[in-house]
Amino acid sequence: MSTPFDGVWLVFRRELVTVRRTPGYAVLALGLLVVLGGLVAVGGGGATGFVPAVVDLLLPTEVLVPLLAVVLGYRALFADAASGELAVIRTYPVSAAAYVLGVLLARTVALVALVGGPFALVGAYVWLTAAPDTGIFATHAGVDSPVLFVRFVALVVPFGAAYLSLSAAVSTIATSRRSAVALGVLALLAGVLGGDLAVLRSLSAGAPAGGIAESIAFTPNGAFRGLVFEHVIGVAFAPEGGFVDTGLAAASLVGWSVLGAVAAVAAVAFGPRVDVAAERLRERLRR
Amino acid sequence: MSERALAAVDGVTRAYGGVPVLEGVSLSVEAGVTAVVGPNGSGKSTLLGVLAGAVEPTDGAVRYPEGGPRSGSEKRVGYLPQRVPFRDGFTARETLGFYAALVDGDPDAALAAVGLADAADKRVEALSGGMRRLLGIAQATLGDPAVVVLDEPTSGLDPEMRERAFRAAARAGDDAAVVVSSHDLDLVDAHADAVVVLRRGRIAAAGPRERLLDEHEVDDVDGLYRAVAGDADALARGDDGGEAERDGDESVHVAGVSDR
Repeated sequence: MSTPFDGVWLVFRRELVTVRRTPGYAVLALGLLVVLGGLVAVGGGGATGFVPAVVDLLLPTEVLVPLLAVVLGYRALFADAASGELAVIRTYPVSAAAYVLGVLLARTVALVALVGGPFALVGAYVWLTAAPDTGIFATHAGVDSPVLFVRFVALVVPFGAAYLSLSAAVSTIATSRRSAVALGVLALLAGVLGGDLAVLRSLSAGAPAGGIAESIAFTPNGAFRGLVFEHVIGVAFAPEGGFVDTGLAAASLVGWSVLGAVAAVAAVAFGPRVDVAAERLRERLRR
Repeated sequence: MSERALAAVDGVTRAYGGVPVLEGVSLSVEAGVTAVVGPNGSGKSTLLGVLAGAVEPTDGAVRYPEGGPRSGSEKRVGYLPQRVPFRDGFTARETLGFYAALVDGDPDAALAAVGLADAADKRVEALSGGMRRLLGIAQATLGDPAVVVLDEPTSGLDPEMRERAFRAAARAGDDAAVVVSSHDLDLVDAHADAVVVLRRGRIAAAGPRERLLDEHEVDDVDGLYRAVAGDADALARGDDGGEAERDGDESVHVAGVSDR
């Protein structure tokens, strides 16, 4: 192995093969497709157009995509640590950063396929069944367009990646499969509900309503929702925008992913030392 | 640390939940096979984990003259944990292929070296316990590390497989320091160059096998074990079931396989 990138690549390839050989993930993607298709059908079918489909899918997406991302991420780093294989891998010239990056990149590629695939198929269904004018590629506001749906799917990916990265990071402190599941669920609930509840609490505490566009951008769900309103739904119905600070929301989604990755690298690299530090502290207190 | 030492454990202590599992252990390991024996819960797995860099000591350190497990761009230490950890769903060749690629090694040659060439396309979960351990030994020796740490490579195997596993470990010891924990004292007798007897987290005896046998006026490692560890019944009880609590401080601390 000549460069650190080789380590990332080899771990990435191994992880991707693992995901590909786990049939449960394909079943989840199929389930997601059925739910998304069902929601669009119940909402009036593909004939209503792309933006109405996005409106129908937005809220379920805010729950289903994080759920699928957490399922992909909650054992991503825990599995090797629990089996003891991480201790073996760490005797090879693979840094903690290369290992975590390889795993997370592979899981993110899997996320793109497992989440992007069903959304793309729903988009294709809308395209095939929508009224004639929705097939136009919009060049200005007020026109429904497949481009808007593509934008929606493009926003779904970093949204899911943020949850994937965070759940993988949280999984590094799990001590059993059960605790990994519990931590994953906790991360899911904190992300899906916690952010909005925090915003509501700040409003009830007297924070100005005008600051919502900024404050919601700090949570993954708020950032995603704001970007969808700003660049998908709002393009057709409220071109004046102002739902969210685009730069802040985009940085927030990327930031949560990076935060999760950095936390995971730190946990893999320094976790044993933290354990030892706690042991030394316990010894000191005992004396 | 002697000039020939490939790793030196210096005053290593490790505790879990306030209970010391290893206490003030010091020894040096040189090229050849060093067998670590001791009753269940004597700290064998912890000592091997510390040597492999998998367990961080609460006190003390391990020094490697040629570089430790996480230094440089080469593999310096090979490690097979007590529980063979490979992922299901991968064949033996794919499993070794991943590790071999990390050190520019040849997975087929490594499989052939432990007699698993015919099982290369078998999935890990379809391999017998013995084959999995041989695969683990092949993995640990990939990249020709200076120190190879094998935790209970013969645990739960039939006599033929035990012999194969130990022979594979001994072959690796031609060039490297192979540290192997085992309850198979007859195999230790046949293959080990040096022996470390652990008792309640401390070294009860350590040194070249022949010298220890002479010093304790015994014929074999089994006799040495009975004389030094003084708890033959614990050995007869079987495999390591994890680290037990220490209940006293009766053991003798002898520093160093190589008389440090």
